[in-house]
Amino acid sequence: MFDSVLFISSAVLVLVGSLGVLFIKENLMHACVSLLTALFGVAGLYATLGADFLAATQLVVYVGGVVILMLFGIMLTGGGTSNENKFGIEKVPGMGSVKTYIVAGVNVLVISLIVIRIMANVMKDYKAVPLPPYESTVEKLGTLLVTDHVLAFEISSILLLGALVGAAIIARPTRRTN
Amino acid sequence: MASLYSYLFLSFFMFVIGMAVMIARKNVIAMLLGIELILNAAALNFVAYTRFINQNLDGHIMSLFIIVIAAAEAAVGLAIVIRFFQVRESIHVDDATQLQA
Repeated sequence: MFDSVLFISSAVLVLVGSLGVLFIKENLMHACVSLLTALFGVAGLYATLGADFLAATQLVVYVGGVVILMLFGIMLTGGGTSNENKFGIEKVPGMGSVKTYIVAGVNVLVISLIVIRIMANVMKDYKAVPLPPYESTVEKLGTLLVTDHVLAFEISSILLLGALVGAAIIARPTRRTN
Repeated sequence: MASLYSYLFLSFFMFVIGMAVMIARKNVIAMLLGIELILNAAALNFVAYTRFINQNLDGHIMSLFIIVIAAAEAAVGLAIVIRFFQVRESIHVDDATQLQA
């Protein structure tokens, strides 16, 4: 019961939030808050899937880190509604003609047929078995991270260090050398 | 009740919306928002398959690394956007013409 309520509310958050990212054009701040809504919904979906640690990580890293970083980026590059011309918020021109839409429709059909054909083999053995009850995944995830996946763990730390140093170097203002 | 297919549909929806954001919007930061949507769709797929197909936790590990890489990508992408704004006074993607031959 609680599961269904959580799933439905999270799904509504995801749908509304991602549609908002696509369709809110006047103010980029609002689109960013809409992305935050969608990420909250994804955290709720993780919770319904029994991934408690991932739900917490999603909330901490995305809502506390990435979206705040995006908001700072928006503020540093001109804010929400100011100087619309410079900010590039204009209506997307009507893309394509009837011919391009027909080609796109044929592409959708062909690609979905290929994907269905591939997925049919994967999903052949799938039966809706009764699911195991929820249990905490934190301990198992910690054990897996330092035993089976320790190489990826270390490489990700090096990646984060490189990304931070690179971001600081790229965003640094130019220093005149004379 | 929520089955595997409902999660797959949600993930598909998020992926398509993110792709449309990346194609249709001309603002560089809005395109970064679309990338975040796409990465989240992939991570949601991993966790859903972990719950419904095989109950080992490798999908969770993969999703965790996706979150880490998304954070690094957001930092570097925003640094590039801020640098671009310092140089060209604009973050419209059509203004990025300096590397054209």
